Amino acid sequence: MMQNLEINFKQIDKIKKITKEEKNFRIKNLESFKASGFPNKRQEDWKFTDFKSIVDSNFKELDAQRVSSNINKIDLLKNFEHNYVLLVNGNLHSSNFDYEEKSKIRINNYDKSIDYEISKNPLICLNHALAENGYSLEIDKNYKFKKVLVIYNLFTKDIKNKILNNKNKIKINENSELHVIEYTINESKSKFINNVYENIILEKNSKFKNLFMQNNKSDGFFHKFIKNKLSLNADISNLIFSSGLKFNKIDIECDLVEENSKCNILSALFLKKNEHQEIKTLVNHLAPNCKSNQKIKKVLSSGSKGVYQGKIYVKDIAQKTDAYQLSKALLLDDNAEFNSKPELEIYADDVKCSHGSSSGNIDQDSLYYLMTRGLSRKDSSKLLIKGFLNEVIEFIKNPSIKKFIETNLEYQINEY
Amino acid sequence: MLEIKNLQASINNKTILKGLNLTIKPGELHAIMGPNGSGKSTLANVLSGKSGYEISGDVNYEGKSLKKVSVEERAQRGIFLAFQYPLEIPGVNTNNFLKTSLNSIRKSKGKKELDTLTFLKLVKEKASELGINEKILSRQLNVGFSGGEKKKNEILQMKILDPNLSILDETDSGLDIDALKTIASGVNSSRDSKKSFLVITHYQRLLEYIKPDFVHVLSNGKIIKTGCGELAEELEKTGYQKLN
Repeated sequence: MMQNLEINFKQIDKIKKITKEEKNFRIKNLESFKASGFPNKRQEDWKFTDFKSIVDSNFKELDAQRVSSNINKIDLLKNFEHNYVLLVNGNLHSSNFDYEEKSKIRINNYDKSIDYEISKNPLICLNHALAENGYSLEIDKNYKFKKVLVIYNLFTKDIKNKILNNKNKIKINENSELHVIEYTINESKSKFINNVYENIILEKNSKFKNLFMQNNKSDGFFHKFIKNKLSLNADISNLIFSSGLKFNKIDIECDLVEENSKCNILSALFLKKNEHQEIKTLVNHLAPNCKSNQKIKKVLSSGSKGVYQGKIYVKDIAQKTDAYQLSKALLLDDNAEFNSKPELEIYADDVKCSHGSSSGNIDQDSLYYLMTRGLSRKDSSKLLIKGFLNEVIEFIKNPSIKKFIETNLEYQINEY
Repeated sequence: MLEIKNLQASINNKTILKGLNLTIKPGELHAIMGPNGSGKSTLANVLSGKSGYEISGDVNYEGKSLKKVSVEERAQRGIFLAFQYPLEIPGVNTNNFLKTSLNSIRKSKGKKELDTLTFLKLVKEKASELGINEKILSRQLNVGFSGGEKKKNEILQMKILDPNLSILDETDSGLDIDALKTIASGVNSSRDSKKSFLVITHYQRLLEYIKPDFVHVLSNGKIIKTGCGELAEELEKTGYQKLN
């Protein structure tokens, strides 16, 4: 049982240059968090994940004080040319936009705005109460990035029993385009929690691709809430490839606020022993003629747990909505678990909405077919697993990035 | 090449093969005909090593018992089964699969694995021999293939893997006359004094293009009659009923 989470109101007092309003906002959120504590299964959004007991059984203490961000050097990816932002323990450390017109890009420390309502999710409240670092990135209008932007999300060796609260913001103005790979590198061998709030705003005709992955296995516990807000013709894709984490919950809320906006949420994951990966989505169709597409594919091996809670909401005025949702799990043994909760809430009458969910084992006949061609059972399984996940990888158009993701997934599958 | 003695096979407590005897020598092509439910596909499955069957009797391949030899090892030793219903494997590129397959067989024989370029050259050569459009090979394995394309793809795999014993399980069923000719030419061009074939079919039609050395009639789990090519023609006229 966790004895003490060192959070008190004094911690908020330590935050420098704080307005009275901000202080009130933080205190209000902290009170809300304290009232409920870490989320447990009684909350609908956490019905498959008792985060409270996960925290209790993994941490004796948790410290929410901010941490330093000193590092010597980081090895950049060599697989493709890219711009980068380096976050160290969630703090904005440095950035490099050498491939771009720098005047079009602004990057700053986290966004201090406080116009958020109190959330039902205690972890969001905790974030609003305590986050004092992260980044804020804004792209001017009419600017398309020439190269991908890699956000290196580095956690240092000395992170232990910490809960790091970070707040990020990306704003892409009219007619602009950005492709991000959020690449998590965890050097800490200890347990810690990273709790992130991310705000993504897409103005008219803008385009954003956001790809998540990590370079290694990790004992970190990650929770990320992402709020997407899309204007006219805006187009967002979230691609989640972050396997290998002890606990990872990505909670995406996407508001299609204006007509013809599009949202893609795709995921291909391979989970191993005791890994927990959860994707929760809420796609709000708030205007007519918007399109959303969710495709979640998980391969689960021994003792791993995958969760998908996906909801599509269609407002009464959102006619001609085209919404699709599919989750599929491949269970490699009896100890793996997949929970899926698809939900549709529709108030418009002229819409196309569909959802599906399935889980099963590797098809024995397919396995047999491949083995009659001289492949071992193991190699045949691997081929089928890759085939299962491939559908999502096919979505990546850039060949070198695709190769990079493929290699990374293949590496995980080969360990199976 | 292949020697089957008193083979019995049952699945789910139902006996399908009831003491089957068959000997195939190198270079020979044997055809097995028989009515529905006579055990033709079971024979093909059992020879390929498919699990789920209870088996007794002897099956020797190249002088060694196949008992306890796994599916993949049989394939590596040169037994090939062309499926009656080739499976669709989504997400797996046909060429990649063929290359993995060929290289695992080569590896098991201690041969050097082929690099992509050499492999693609080989595929191109074999595909054009069979008149198969190479484009289907860059697609997902059998996914969206027509019935004919699937069967042709099986024969292409046979050509590439170059097995000693090829078992064709009703490869001719559901094919138009052109596809049938492609399949037949694939088999005929592979025949030599060392390679053996076991062609399972319902109809005599395929045997107009592939000349068998022996024709066997399988009925109720046993071979009830053996003859040469003319037996197939006779069956076509009289049907299986009269043999019983």
